[in-house]
Amino acid sequence: MSALGVDGRVTGAQRYSVEIERPGMLHAAFVRSPHPHARVVRVDAAALPEGCVALTPGDVADLGLYGCQARDQRVLADVARHAGDVVAAVAAPTRAEARAAADAIEVEYEELPAVFDAVEAVAPGAPLLHPDTAASAQEEVSIGVRPLPGTNVCHRFRLVSGDVDAGFAEADVVVEEAFRTPSAAHVPMEPHAALAEWEDGRLTVWAGTQTPFNTRADLAGLFGLDPEHVRIVAPPMGGSFGAKTFVRTEALAAALARKAARPVKVVLDRAEEFVTLNRHPATIRVRLGARRDGTLVAKEVDCWVDTGAYADCGPGVATKLGYAGVGPYRIPNVRVDALAVYTNLPPNGAYRGYGAMQSVWASERAMDVLAERLGMSPLELRRRNLLRDGDRFATGEVMHDVRFAECLQAAADSVSYEADPRGKGLCVLLKGMQTPSRAEIAVERTPVGYVVRCASCEMGQGVRRSIRLMAAGLLGCEPGQVEVPDPDTDSSPFDTRTTSSRSTHMMGRALAVAVEDLRRNGGDRGVGEIRNEGGLDPDTGQGIASTHWHQGAAAAHVSVDEETGRLTVKHLHGVAYAGRVVDRPGAELQNEGSLIMGLGTALFEAIDAGDGQVANANLSDYNVPALGDLPARFTHELIEREGAEVHGLGETVLPPVPAAIGNALHSLGIRLHELPMTPERVLAAVDAREGRR
Amino acid sequence: MSVTLHVNGRRTTVACEPADMLLDVLRAEGLTSVRETCRIGVCGACTVLLDGEPVSGCLTMAGQVEGREITTVEGLGGTDPVQRAFVDAHAFQCGWCTPGFVLTARRLLEERAGGPPLTDAEIAEALGGNLCRCGSYVKIVEAVRRAAGTDGRGRA
Repeated sequence: MSALGVDGRVTGAQRYSVEIERPGMLHAAFVRSPHPHARVVRVDAAALPEGCVALTPGDVADLGLYGCQARDQRVLADVARHAGDVVAAVAAPTRAEARAAADAIEVEYEELPAVFDAVEAVAPGAPLLHPDTAASAQEEVSIGVRPLPGTNVCHRFRLVSGDVDAGFAEADVVVEEAFRTPSAAHVPMEPHAALAEWEDGRLTVWAGTQTPFNTRADLAGLFGLDPEHVRIVAPPMGGSFGAKTFVRTEALAAALARKAARPVKVVLDRAEEFVTLNRHPATIRVRLGARRDGTLVAKEVDCWVDTGAYADCGPGVATKLGYAGVGPYRIPNVRVDALAVYTNLPPNGAYRGYGAMQSVWASERAMDVLAERLGMSPLELRRRNLLRDGDRFATGEVMHDVRFAECLQAAADSVSYEADPRGKGLCVLLKGMQTPSRAEIAVERTPVGYVVRCASCEMGQGVRRSIRLMAAGLLGCEPGQVEVPDPDTDSSPFDTRTTSSRSTHMMGRALAVAVEDLRRNGGDRGVGEIRNEGGLDPDTGQGIASTHWHQGAAAAHVSVDEETGRLTVKHLHGVAYAGRVVDRPGAELQNEGSLIMGLGTALFEAIDAGDGQVANANLSDYNVPALGDLPARFTHELIEREGAEVHGLGETVLPPVPAAIGNALHSLGIRLHELPMTPERVLAAVDAREGRR
Repeated sequence: MSVTLHVNGRRTTVACEPADMLLDVLRAEGLTSVRETCRIGVCGACTVLLDGEPVSGCLTMAGQVEGREITTVEGLGGTDPVQRAFVDAHAFQCGWCTPGFVLTARRLLEERAGGPPLTDAEIAEALGGNLCRCGSYVKIVEAVRRAAGTDGRGRA
């Protein structure tokens, strides 16, 4: 694979979803609501230029609702629920003509009251976004959604373990703190792109997506087709990080193609990316009680998770955020209450870490507040309470292959924490993998090697290379003899989706079964399937949260210019438990990439949409980390264990970064509760410290 | 209207308006390594070399490049030592930004050929206009260092 000329990524030969073309295709452009909440009164396409096709409400009246965890979204919004909601669409021979045609469509709106904060949105009298929520879900995505009728809550997740009141009664010290995280943009370098084509009543969509089978199921439901009559092909993506999950532009492309009777291609522009899918803002209140010796006895976590205008996978994010908020600790009495809440902001969805960053920020910052109150080292407080092999987590499941202590110690050692903790901070992370889930894979013998078919989508995380390496090892051939075609729901066996760092772990195990099947049957094709059963009861939080735990830690060493609030991260270190590494350079790249993304989240990334309009929808006003933003010392490690299974690591060291930096500031008396940790916030916290003195 | 382009050593006349952006003109010519991400000249994904200097294709009008030499990674043919260094150092993930980094790094190495070794700060400064959201920066710097170990023509 390192043979020169083979890797299309350096020669420019690599093709992405934006480059898919079909004969006779048209290009799409969307008409978007300028209002954060408004009823669409009239759509007038009379001025449409010749040669263009308009999609107006009458064209989609026969289509129902879609949405992966709650069916709450129409192809064209009859009520715009965020500024940027699509209310009409056009298709034209070129992108430029399509944009001009979209401008020619007139829309009359009746503005409605709007709400932009999840805590305000659950208050009595708040404007309701979806008064008649239909909470039906696809089988593959179902988590048992629990909406609260008559409110903006599309899902409530609760976890109860032990007796939290009795626990707090036992505590010598109790701390209570509230934390906030903003919305953030994934900023994949390649925007969302999809091309839809109908032929004999059958729909094919080529799309940059992590979720081909979920997208197939949702489109089939929407257009009233058998899933077998919908085909999704997923070319490699120029980055995704969760942005390209579930139905995004695919339904619009398909509806436009149906109307135009020609293939229609959608490519979003950069500003549209910022109103398509972002990260969930969260407000999290943590109450934590301990005995004088540092033993944790009770914890309460209340979460308001802002899912924006549509639920998307917000219920799943609220669930994962909720149980991750317990942290990797033995706590006998726990209560978690996490609400996924509609607001009139652009929809929020999967974002590398899937809610873990938000709750780890709150939960691990609270640990350092508690340590200070106890007069104990934050490292010692964590050590004393970390889950060990065989312990029961708050969900009731027994933990196996537990490496939290090792991860934490490695992080502490990287910054010589025990020698001098000043200006240094630590964070340890527990994160689950999508459970339940199912992975299938097929291995086919060819005259020159093998073809491995699976629906694991390549977005830069290196899954194709991992599968090729694992297959070569199992089959006893060269990696170059293993072909891994793009996922295609017509020819790739079923996979739940490419999320939650599950592909190498799940597909690797399915691959071993498939290769064994090939050997045993002696034919040309072997198949393998792995099912991970489980899931949590949404009302009690009991069950199997994850069949496989992502374990990691981070350490930061910082300095602060107290005149300006400028925060310098001198050293950042990330630790991921890898079990067994399949592709070392690939694993290192995922670790480094997660740390850098975590750094952006910690220091400067935030979508500015306080009044419902995204004010920084471009890469000049919304900054992502550049090479010069890396700390002077930037290190990481992968912890391995002889004989261990493969552990997913695509996200592990992102969530702990902000809290490690926040805790480093805390060691200097600079107490931050809200991300990002901008110079303004740091300066205000320095002033607050001086006020306490 | 038409504009004559000298791209990767070849001369072609393309039908376009002088105010059309080089990014769109080159993509229409099939040079898809020139990629659209930010369209405001901050991300470097549409970097091309114009008479050897990196420029953003999204900020350069076709009319400005008449008669000037344009290089994209397609023109390097996969045999360039910088491309080889990127492969050997595993300096990419999704690969979207890679052509822009390769071209910017190539210019940096040309400028410094025969000079003192590049410092980290100099590499960070030179590549500061190219963004990699996958965060492959550590290995990109490693690739530049590997390539700097040669004279820019593949000879150590």
